[in-house]
Amino acid sequence: MANDVNTVVVNLAGRIDSNNANDVEKDILLKLEQKDNYAVILNAKNLEYISSAGLRVILRVKKSHPDLKITEVSTEVYDILEMTGFTEMMTVEKAYRVVSVEGCEEIGRGANGTIYRIDQDNVVKVYNNADALADIQHEREVARLALILGIPTAISYDVVKVGESYGSVFELLNARSFSKILSTEPERFDWCVKEYVNMLKKIHSTIVPDGKLPDMRETVLEWANFMQDYLPEDKAKKLLALVNEVPYDNHMIHGDYHTKNLELQNGEVLLIDMDTLAIGHPIFELASMYNSFIGFSETNHEIIKKFQGFDFETGKAFWRASLSMYLGTDDEKKIEEVENKARIIGYIRLIRRSIRRKGLETAESRKEIEYWKSELLELLDSTDTLLFSTNELQVEAVKENLPTVLSFIEEHLEENGCYPKDRMQIAIAAEEIFVNIANYAYAPKSGKATVRVEVSKDPIRVIITFMDNGKPFDPTKKSDPDITLSADERDIGGLGIFMTKKMMDNVVYEYKDGKNILTIEKILK
Amino acid sequence: MTYPKKIDLHMHTVISDGTDTPSEIIEKVKEKGIELFSVTDHDAVKSSALVKQLLKKGDPAFVPGVEFSCKDSEGRYHILGYNYDIDAKPITQLVNTGHNYRIEKLRKRLDFLESEFSFTFGKQDIDALFSLDNPGKPHIGNIMVKYGYAKTKEDAINNYINRFHSKNEYVKPDDAIKSILLSNGIPVLAHPVYGRGDELILGEDLVYRIKKLISFGLMGVEAFYSGFTSKLQNEVLSLAEEYNLLVTAGSDYHGKNKMVTLGDTNLNSEENYPQSLKRFIDMVYNKK
Repeated sequence: MANDVNTVVVNLAGRIDSNNANDVEKDILLKLEQKDNYAVILNAKNLEYISSAGLRVILRVKKSHPDLKITEVSTEVYDILEMTGFTEMMTVEKAYRVVSVEGCEEIGRGANGTIYRIDQDNVVKVYNNADALADIQHEREVARLALILGIPTAISYDVVKVGESYGSVFELLNARSFSKILSTEPERFDWCVKEYVNMLKKIHSTIVPDGKLPDMRETVLEWANFMQDYLPEDKAKKLLALVNEVPYDNHMIHGDYHTKNLELQNGEVLLIDMDTLAIGHPIFELASMYNSFIGFSETNHEIIKKFQGFDFETGKAFWRASLSMYLGTDDEKKIEEVENKARIIGYIRLIRRSIRRKGLETAESRKEIEYWKSELLELLDSTDTLLFSTNELQVEAVKENLPTVLSFIEEHLEENGCYPKDRMQIAIAAEEIFVNIANYAYAPKSGKATVRVEVSKDPIRVIITFMDNGKPFDPTKKSDPDITLSADERDIGGLGIFMTKKMMDNVVYEYKDGKNILTIEKILK
Repeated sequence: MTYPKKIDLHMHTVISDGTDTPSEIIEKVKEKGIELFSVTDHDAVKSSALVKQLLKKGDPAFVPGVEFSCKDSEGRYHILGYNYDIDAKPITQLVNTGHNYRIEKLRKRLDFLESEFSFTFGKQDIDALFSLDNPGKPHIGNIMVKYGYAKTKEDAINNYINRFHSKNEYVKPDDAIKSILLSNGIPVLAHPVYGRGDELILGEDLVYRIKKLISFGLMGVEAFYSGFTSKLQNEVLSLAEEYNLLVTAGSDYHGKNKMVTLGDTNLNSEENYPQSLKRFIDMVYNKK
């Protein structure tokens, strides 16, 4: 690191022990004379050994310069500093192993870096930014956070020097990215969609503690503000209003969720490239996904081939199939509606990116921007909200959430024009089942319940699925109550499921993958 | 009782390798607002006797101290002795033994410098060396610089004096601990994780050492020390708790010879002191 105005770098070399500790200390103090407010860096690149006498020198320097930092520390010296608690007291940066990626297979590429396989078991993510140590630190922290919150990911175990830049090394054994699978084993397309959407739902159902991740909403607002100068006034205003209307959401989004960032390792699906992790409404995620599969390559179909290894048609089909599964509907109209919302944010990002990178000078970029802009203007005319709903709701299984569950179901039934009588029967059944989960599934603790609503037409069939990870319990097995008895004499509990069975056309219980799955079905006349 | 807010039980004067005289150190202790202190010169009790005489009414509370450099077949130890009877025979005898070892070592060093490098010194300088309370490498180094044999004191020590190796006689840790106990004092292991100089003793090695010294009669450990990180401090504190040892706090101030600030012991006066430290303070206050 260069000597900044307010930084003093002191080089430590050879051995520091009781023979020379005093000299070293004097030397350091001489260099720090009249530099009380300077940041002090002890560069340990050439330091081979440090004894306890040397450690005490560092401690004394630390006391007069609390922001002391030690850099380029060898593994041996680092071990001593760690054992004695120095690494907890001050910033200690290890010396970086030098790694070459020449001739290595590129297995991933993200917004901030490129991932190469360096040997059978390890990959290195090389950051684009030359001074990437802060980025690396950030990614390590968010990856650790994601892992704690239950998202399977790889965590870097070493930082290395790659040419002029830095890289972070991960263990990734025999892993294959979803892009690779899609381009070499097209027969696994459906499997890929299923796993890709499962992971996406897992990310979007993860609540992030306050302040741990940036808010994507703010970033998108910044894009919308940037667009103010490039759109007609009324359109610019509408754009801003649409983004403003998207509520704060503390669920996780990945931010760069495409098939190169999903790896299959020993049967386990891992999410990688975590530096874009944020919180926000899922529409922001869908926008970035749209760009990955379509937006970036819309005017030049070769781009996706180069980037993902599969062609534009495959990418488009994958996006559509994933979106359909994510929304839980085959309804083309509904899918297109949500896609259009995603495109609005996707295009403003592309336009801003293109203007900032290439400017408006070249004919090529002008053409690109014109295309995105015309699409955007059309979309702004036909879109009144960026919000959308999926057919799945995950809530804490507590009675207080019953109104949320019922209004979620109601919303879907309304959309499909069900009669009030049917709606009431479905609501009664749903209430019985949800309250049952809330009371018994996790007792005495609590846990999550998922409710999925599927509606198909001709004839209209409503299927509602309740899932929980609680104790296995089959309510359909409960014997029907004797309804000839008076209210006082009846067993409590059996009545609910009895009514449910009576009112629904089909009630099926299944215990699978540690989940209670109860499905109720009603065919509407 | 209320405990002193600021404590420093480990410092050196010119009687060993510090640079402050006993009266200077009293002034500095007062300036720093230290309410309880001890002077712990290497292998010498003279400074404690002097400080005791110099103290006036209203001055900070004082505990006589000493730091013995000890060695046995398993390593080196600095053993602190506190609150002993200053005239007690066992401790003064041990000081004399230690002093004799040092005089013997000085003689051997001077012989080596003469035979190896033909460095000789005038009688006056040699007499001055032998009359010192605690003559060591820095003292010889200074004289070598005066004669032009070396450029600096460090040059003298590193390039000439340190070439001399011999089996020196050392005070044994069990002798030091016994002498302190027999003089009604409290034996304490100084900066336990730093054996001496370059050694770093942690984990099982540290436990082994402490258990051995306890079997000799060790009563305490210096857990608050200027040269400890909080991790090291916690390691020593938890050992003190496990083996029911007293705990002390010291800076190891050496005046201009080391960049240690007087009173810097890493003891947080805002927090409640551990019982082990309170017990030590109770013991020294009650004896008075």
